[in-house]
Amino acid sequence: MSVDPAPSTVDETAARTSGTATPTGSARRRVPLAGLIALAVLILLAAVPLFVAPFQTSMLARMLIFALLAVSLDLLVGITGLPSLGHAAYFGIGAYTAGLVAKYWTAAAPIPLIAAVVVAAFAAVATGWLAVRSHGVFFLMLTLAIGELIQQLAESWSGVTGGDNGLSGIPAVEVAGEPLSLVGYVYWYVLFFAVLGFTVIWAVSRSPFGAALRGIRDNEPRMRSLGYSPFRYKLAGFTLAGAIAGLAGGLFASQQFALVTPADLGFTTSALALLAVAVGGAGSLWGPAIGAAVVVLIRDVYGPDLDGHGTLVLGIVFIVAVYSLRNGLAGLTTTRFRRRGPPADAAPAPPRDNEATTPDPTTPDPTQATSAVPPTGGLPANRQEGHGVDQGSKGPGTDDPPRHADDPGERRS
Amino acid sequence: MMQPVLSRRNALGVFGLAGLAATAGCGSSVGGGDNGGGSSSGGGGAIKVGLIVPQDGVYTPLGVDMKNAWDLYLDQHDGMLGGYEVETIVADEGEGPDTGVPAIQGLITRDNVDVLVGIVNSASALGSAEAIAAAKKVLVIANAGANAVTGDARNPYIWRASFNNAQAAFAMGEYLAGQQPEGGVYLMAPDYAAGQETFVAFKESYVGGGGTIAGEALTPFGTTQDFQPFLSAIPGSGAGATFVFYSGGEAVSFVQQYASLGLKDSVPLYGSGFLTEGSVLEAQGEAAVGIQTALHYSTEIENPANSEFVEAYQGAYDVLPTCFAVQTWDAALVLDLALAETEDLTGDSVSAALEGLGEISDSPRGPWSFDGQSPKHIEYLREVQEGDGGLINVVVEELGEYGQ
Amino acid sequence: MTEWFADNFVSILNGLAIGSLLFILAVGLSLVFGMMDVLNLGHGALYLIGAYVGYQFTGGVSSWSGFLTALAVAAVFGAVAGLILSVATQPLVGRGHLDQALLTLGVALVVAEVISIIFGDDVQNVVAPPGLNESIQVFGNTYPAYRLALIGVGAVLAIIVWLVIEKTSLGALIRASVSDREMVSAVGVDNRKVKAGVFAFGSMLAAVAGVLGGPVYGARTGLDETVLLLALVVIVIGGLGSVRGALIGALVIGQVESLGKALYPDFASFMLFGALALVLIVRPRGLFGSRVGAG
Repeated sequence: MSVDPAPSTVDETAARTSGTATPTGSARRRVPLAGLIALAVLILLAAVPLFVAPFQTSMLARMLIFALLAVSLDLLVGITGLPSLGHAAYFGIGAYTAGLVAKYWTAAAPIPLIAAVVVAAFAAVATGWLAVRSHGVFFLMLTLAIGELIQQLAESWSGVTGGDNGLSGIPAVEVAGEPLSLVGYVYWYVLFFAVLGFTVIWAVSRSPFGAALRGIRDNEPRMRSLGYSPFRYKLAGFTLAGAIAGLAGGLFASQQFALVTPADLGFTTSALALLAVAVGGAGSLWGPAIGAAVVVLIRDVYGPDLDGHGTLVLGIVFIVAVYSLRNGLAGLTTTRFRRRGPPADAAPAPPRDNEATTPDPTTPDPTQATSAVPPTGGLPANRQEGHGVDQGSKGPGTDDPPRHADDPGERRS
Repeated sequence: MMQPVLSRRNALGVFGLAGLAATAGCGSSVGGGDNGGGSSSGGGGAIKVGLIVPQDGVYTPLGVDMKNAWDLYLDQHDGMLGGYEVETIVADEGEGPDTGVPAIQGLITRDNVDVLVGIVNSASALGSAEAIAAAKKVLVIANAGANAVTGDARNPYIWRASFNNAQAAFAMGEYLAGQQPEGGVYLMAPDYAAGQETFVAFKESYVGGGGTIAGEALTPFGTTQDFQPFLSAIPGSGAGATFVFYSGGEAVSFVQQYASLGLKDSVPLYGSGFLTEGSVLEAQGEAAVGIQTALHYSTEIENPANSEFVEAYQGAYDVLPTCFAVQTWDAALVLDLALAETEDLTGDSVSAALEGLGEISDSPRGPWSFDGQSPKHIEYLREVQEGDGGLINVVVEELGEYGQ
Repeated sequence: MTEWFADNFVSILNGLAIGSLLFILAVGLSLVFGMMDVLNLGHGALYLIGAYVGYQFTGGVSSWSGFLTALAVAAVFGAVAGLILSVATQPLVGRGHLDQALLTLGVALVVAEVISIIFGDDVQNVVAPPGLNESIQVFGNTYPAYRLALIGVGAVLAIIVWLVIEKTSLGALIRASVSDREMVSAVGVDNRKVKAGVFAFGSMLAAVAGVLGGPVYGARTGLDETVLLLALVVIVIGGLGSVRGALIGALVIGQVESLGKALYPDFASFMLFGALALVLIVRPRGLFGSRVGAG
């Protein structure tokens, strides 16, 4: 990948807000390659049940499901800039819904899944309406609270959810009237819908809507001045993320002998998803999928062999990843092509290369770190895209809740 | 500027596959077979037993006891059960069904065990019931007490050598109905299946026997460290006795706080035996003395099998056994007896053999037999007293035999 | 009215005791966040370290020497851990708050697991030192003497912290850093040292809280998560970065956990996070968060 000379400021801003700009030549060269790789991997994934033993296939299905959850969280964290610690709630709601529909109404695919998506979306819009008014750490805490409340509800409403014993006895998914009895078939079912979910998120992220979300993530006051309503966009993003999480939950309930418990809704699952996003690289969408695979691998596949101390390995892996992988695993593909200067490099540089212009919440431009004000008080330190563009210093009238006691509300970082 | 492209996720998705491949067997998940492959063939040979116990998290101490007892039994029987040589594969149940169910499924599909033993958490047992039935493997539960496991949700392959949640509570209810404490009884338990089932069973026998309930509280499960808000209601309710079900960490906190809030001397405390069983007794210390509980086991039961068992266990592990150890010992015992009668190791034969067992006479807990697929055994009334090496549960009297 | 008060006296008293413990725990978390925008998700693990130190040195026996030793050791461990965390998060400063927070989460996971490996998963008991190991009569109600002592300790500590923050130059430095970090470094103070100092102090308090909380909460796996969530709720309700907020927040949550549960046991499970959600929706900056800036 070549590093093109920096385009002009205006072009760049436009490019960033539209989210699709690429130095023209490379784009066309890259896309077919990317497409080929995508196709190859898809074929590989689809071929798995033909060659891999049942237990491992079901593990891979779990990975796909968790990956879908992580990617939906990335839509929220990486692209919309809203770090959530309660995302698993929508996953769980989707799982319970699908399980209940399959158990008491019909197991004919894809009805339980549709029900899962609809109910989860509804829950997301209802809670998001309250939640997206906050920013940064307040949003984080509020989503945590909401997640915990929903988990508590699942535990208490035991008549419906089975309480702590969980919801079991979920009948197998029926495709065209035939229940899917073999692990491989279930796997293909999961793969199909997981890919569908990924594609939806990917398409959204490439669309103008996705660009608007990124814009809001990076510089909310500016987007508002351009006429966008951040609240509506964020709410829409939140709802979509919740709906896809619900899809993942529905798939979770479609596994063989699935068991849905309140723990699936809780803080631990949400935290693991967030870990997956961070390890994978927030904002890249595909990184979190890998991160999710890593988490499931360590916890469920290797964990039992480690005397139950899989979490220890997970913690260590995570710490290592945070330090050495600046953009998560996704960053690995780009670091080779970029020479990062030392942090706090004084030059207010135009983008050092074009990879860096991807709004990436985990790697703010270090040159901006000490001088500019993060426009939204978001926890992912938002990219400072200020190349001559007003970064929306936190002037009066901003509607971010100040994060510090006695904050005069003026410039600070 | 590069759009994050879906492709590279897929490319590196191979990492996940590679990782799996490293652990995978090759094999097909769609051709012919369904879950699990063949088990080791039958008839006097070897048997693979999957022992599923908690090795991480709050239930670990129970897991340690259970594994100890299992190992001890095999040790004393040359590693054989019913004429088959035993290979034990241990899997970690973890804290809940989200780790327990995958672990059980792993034992079935990946390790191809013939028989499963263990399980502390009822949710894990209920959650894997279908998988076990589909795979036609016998599971002998060594703890999980939810009534439904051998009740509403039962299937022919799931047997239990432990107890069900209702028994101790029902027994205690009958006893207290006879005692007639003035002012009635105050009930407390954590708000989850085991606690709720305890309430139901206790009320059935106690109220049915003419007693009155002074009040009740279901405390948030797993998150309550401070019971004071709930305990402060007891003096005002006029209760003459308190009956509770708590185990593990909650039991420790509860008993200590019960004493420190002055209730120990004014309102006698009764409980299901788990309140004072095992390592929690040590942690409770002085605060536990005098508490009377009902359980199907105590180290002080006087019968030859128990004396031998306690001595052997102490000799091997330097601590007194607990009911969790006995439950696992009994699981090994019934398997030993059943496997001696079967022709092969299929789930159906083993299940039939278990059904054919009559009274289990050699058990440390006293004679018991299967009522349905769960034990019908004697419940003992025990009281915590100072013993030689520390606190013990002295048997006060036998409360009678209780089935499902 | 007085009858209600008398009926619920023990609960209210208990609420004060829990509140005191929570204050000691949470004030460090609040200051660190206020100063550095670092959400230290390892704060619960620090408490856990303190709890196990308390267990280790008292060994389940009531003894003053054991208890005081435990306090001292925990304070040292906590301070050192705080310094380590401060150094560990330093390279990530340019990378944003989520990364720093997640790093502390990773550290918390590791610490909790290591403790479980060293000490096992049994629930352990920490006994209060002699003299405090019994219950005394307060207005006709029996109440553990230790918890009363805890109220006293909390009050004393609150006064000390308040004096330091409000009346000393160090405190002025801390307040200034909370307000405007750049300005402080522009004046020539090394931000990193201030950060390290606050981190060390806050972590020390967390570990000490672990020892002090031993006779109430014991030492067991999983306690770190419980305690972390409690602390987070306290500081959000009280307002991030504010010592006063931490105190009031702690007292409020202490009452929610005691009086609240006693009055409404059916809703006990929902109360803590319900309160958090309510505050975040209605007044996100908390009770004593910044006055400036719309929510």
